[in-house]
Amino acid sequence: MDNSLIQILMPLALGAGAVLWLLPSAKHKPRFIAGILGATSFYFLSSLTHQSGSLERDLMFDVFAAVALVAGAMMVTDKSPAYAALWFALVTLAVCGLFFLQSAPFLAAASVIVYAGAIIVTFLFVLMLASQGGQGSAAYDQRPTHGVFATISAFALLGIVVGSVHTWNPDTNATATTKSVVKRDVAAPKPLSQVAQDQEVAGSLHQLGRSLFGDYLYAVELAGTLLLVASIGAIAIAPRRSQGTL
Amino acid sequence: MSADYERFLVVGAALFALGAIGFLSRRNLILMVLSAEMMLHGIGLSLVTFSKLHHSLEGQAFTVFVLTVAACEAGLALSLILLLYQSKKSLDVNVWTEIREPDLPPPVDSSSPVAEEDLQEFPKLTPAGLQPDVSRFGNQAGRELVSASQKGGQS
Repeated sequence: MDNSLIQILMPLALGAGAVLWLLPSAKHKPRFIAGILGATSFYFLSSLTHQSGSLERDLMFDVFAAVALVAGAMMVTDKSPAYAALWFALVTLAVCGLFFLQSAPFLAAASVIVYAGAIIVTFLFVLMLASQGGQGSAAYDQRPTHGVFATISAFALLGIVVGSVHTWNPDTNATATTKSVVKRDVAAPKPLSQVAQDQEVAGSLHQLGRSLFGDYLYAVELAGTLLLVASIGAIAIAPRRSQGTL
Repeated sequence: MSADYERFLVVGAALFALGAIGFLSRRNLILMVLSAEMMLHGIGLSLVTFSKLHHSLEGQAFTVFVLTVAACEAGLALSLILLLYQSKKSLDVNVWTEIREPDLPPPVDSSSPVAEEDLQEFPKLTPAGLQPDVSRFGNQAGRELVSASQKGGQS
């Protein structure tokens, strides 16, 4: 018990150290130290969790996960907001790779289109509008507020999640009663959303469309209405040309 | 294929934690919204993993809705940020602390206020030209000239 606690806490502490090291500050700090800390943390976390057994899948997972986490840390700590938006695009691409590994090809494509295509472009557009002064990065980008506090609390949350995921086992941990309850109430999927056990790729456009427009038709209509209301609201909120341009 | 769900869940949780760090510690309004989007990425990854785990497409359908709400949120947040920027000409979130409840004390900013001159980064010029010949002047004048030239080179 004690040993497994240390096994979980040590990589998390290393990761928190890497993020703390990367946070913007007055002194110039070399980034490779944070890289060493983060790589050690990633190695220990990777060896802590179960691998799939297939070499290609493990290798692809390692690459995508490392890219996602490194780009995420860089996005959070980069002084320049434009670079942070580009790091976020990299996070999106890596997460889409992970979606592919979890047999969700349609979601991967949709995420690339929505996030890397639309959201990043609008963010960069607003950044361009809002930083026309051209005097480099502003003071509020150079220093974080409560950086240490935020890092420690977020990594404490991560530690709780990782600990509970690590101790959870779908086969052995559930007692007979909870298993039956879970079977009856939670784990029974809706009829059109079921996937055969031996099916490798589950999230194809055909199957996901059957699930969305069969089981979740009302929710889809509601989501469409939400998009319409949000676009009308965005037009209403955004400043008019007559009020002066930025 | 044996189970490697745990690793995907850990990556999803780590993305969520990194986004939380960004949301709590960054002061740029745009980066705060971007960090929230990264938290949604972590949630989406976890949902897709649960979907695979339960041999069902419900998690993926839910991720589609998360994607929809994220797109709505990004559009609304950006138009709101444009409006805020137009009135204050700054993306700093601390500018807007005055809209808190009137009986609340001002939020304490732990980071020391940064003087603007600390943040200015001057270009580093390589020294050019001939070293001034100071032997022609007297001792005192030559020293002043050298120190003046060094000051000029630094600033």
